[in-house]
Amino acid sequence: MSAIRIFWIGGLISFRALFHWLNPWIYVPTLLVAPLFQILLFVYVGRAARIESDSFFLIGNALQGAAVPCLFAMGHTIAGERFTQTLGLLLTTPASRVPLFLGRAAPVVANGWIVSMFGLGVGGVLVGVDIPPDRWVPLALVVALASASCTGLGLINAALGLKVRQTATFSNIIVGILLVVCGVNVPLAALPTWLRAVSEWLPLTHAVEAARLLADGDTLRSVVPLLGREAGLAAGFIVVGLVILRAFERSSRRTASLERQ
Amino acid sequence: MSAVEAIDLRRSFSSRTSVLRRAKETVEAVRGVSFVIERGEIFGLLGPNGAGKTTTIKMLITLLLPSSGSAKVLGYDVARDAVKVRRRIGYAFGGDRGLYDRLSAQDNLRYFAELYAVPPRTQRARIGELLELVGLRGREKERVEGYSRGMRQRLHIARALLHDPAVLFLDEPSIGIDPVGARELRATVAALAGQGKTILLTTHYMFEADELCDRIAVIGSGRILAEGTPADLKSRVRGGRVLEVETFGVLDESVDDVRRLDGVRSVTVEARTQSQVLHVSMDSEAELTAAVLGRIGDVRVGRVASREPTLEDAYVELIGER
Repeated sequence: MSAIRIFWIGGLISFRALFHWLNPWIYVPTLLVAPLFQILLFVYVGRAARIESDSFFLIGNALQGAAVPCLFAMGHTIAGERFTQTLGLLLTTPASRVPLFLGRAAPVVANGWIVSMFGLGVGGVLVGVDIPPDRWVPLALVVALASASCTGLGLINAALGLKVRQTATFSNIIVGILLVVCGVNVPLAALPTWLRAVSEWLPLTHAVEAARLLADGDTLRSVVPLLGREAGLAAGFIVVGLVILRAFERSSRRTASLERQ
Repeated sequence: MSAVEAIDLRRSFSSRTSVLRRAKETVEAVRGVSFVIERGEIFGLLGPNGAGKTTTIKMLITLLLPSSGSAKVLGYDVARDAVKVRRRIGYAFGGDRGLYDRLSAQDNLRYFAELYAVPPRTQRARIGELLELVGLRGREKERVEGYSRGMRQRLHIARALLHDPAVLFLDEPSIGIDPVGARELRATVAALAGQGKTILLTTHYMFEADELCDRIAVIGSGRILAEGTPADLKSRVRGGRVLEVETFGVLDESVDDVRRLDGVRSVTVEARTQSQVLHVSMDSEAELTAAVLGRIGDVRVGRVASREPTLEDAYVELIGER
């Protein structure tokens, strides 16, 4: 009972505590409008260069739009506590760490989903890509999985926040890697072999491919293997993130890494 | 079984000097601290900045592992039984930080009530009781960012009490609070002791320690320099007197000359806006007023007074002996 309450109620209160500054005046321009520029940029570059379709760039960039809020927000769930000097207080509670940190991840996944779906819908209208109405439900599922896998990677990034202060630096690097390597704007076939191998182990790669197939008319059943791999990566990242969190929390007692503000 | 037992606690910190020069520096913050706090006691830990007070507390609240030595809280080892210790202790520190500023006081308390597994059925009533206890009833729905430092401090204490812990660690809780707020805070701490809580309090304010603490340990450079009741500590300088001399522009060399006088135990200089006040602790039988004034030199002298020693004098003498 306590774990469920920590997951749901604790997760929501802590999200409000750490992200209350994200009022509509900041949220709308930063998380909803700005990703549209990225979509427009790549669609117009694609048109000018006569490569790929508008749909290719729309879907890739809309899904990649989830990476920014998911990675940065998860990193902030630890870095923000360090800043407000509540991290020590949090870690001296007897609360189980699994629901504590997964509860923080749940609103982040939801937010990533909203950002990505907004980009897909409004971006589609702006560039004139017409996604059939029956495609939206399976696409929503794919976007949820993409947000979850990005959040899972963000959890690993958050765990690093117990060791170092600059999780935003890692987030920036990871967002850049995802932009280049996951087939968002560059077809996987155009990547060097080793980068293609790397992309298999990153969030977004399989979700982006599945979303494009769904938008082209494939059935949900036909993309299940891709979704399975994306879900597997999400679960793997979350498990690794929790293991690292546990290890770093233990080592922080020895190394005093929480002392650094 | 004692509430808190620290045996030869030691803690050192290592740091790298810079990114390029990787020379390792090790600082010993706590160097063999031992004390026992009995149940229901208020135990004060006094010491200057950097003495090791906060590091000691952080080891006792399971946030840091001792480099060596051991400590138990209510019989549980702080290194091995961390979760059991956490369930039984509350911790509050002084200053502006450590709260979720954009949440209300009520939501700050709700969140920690969940983390301390306060049962949902009693949570609302418990939060109400604590808001009443710390005098924040009626302000609980306001965002903490609009709170004064005193209100924040009282909210810290309410949070530390959510799960009704048997042992409370208060790390400089009254730092930076105005006199009225500090008095209210002392009343709250005294009331908690009246309810049977064991309290470890660190403070810089001697009158606060004198008023609240059953026993005090003075810590300096990571070591316990003295331990006892406030009366015990004062008796260390009893049999002595303190001469206060207000000066305007006294030189360091002159202060050193005063220190060298026979019968002088210690000298501290309190810098004020325009003047410097010398507190000269001396043997009671010594009549040194003329000698002290002679050593001060030609600088202008204001008020000169002699008084009985206080806990602060005992503290200064102990710290000065290092």
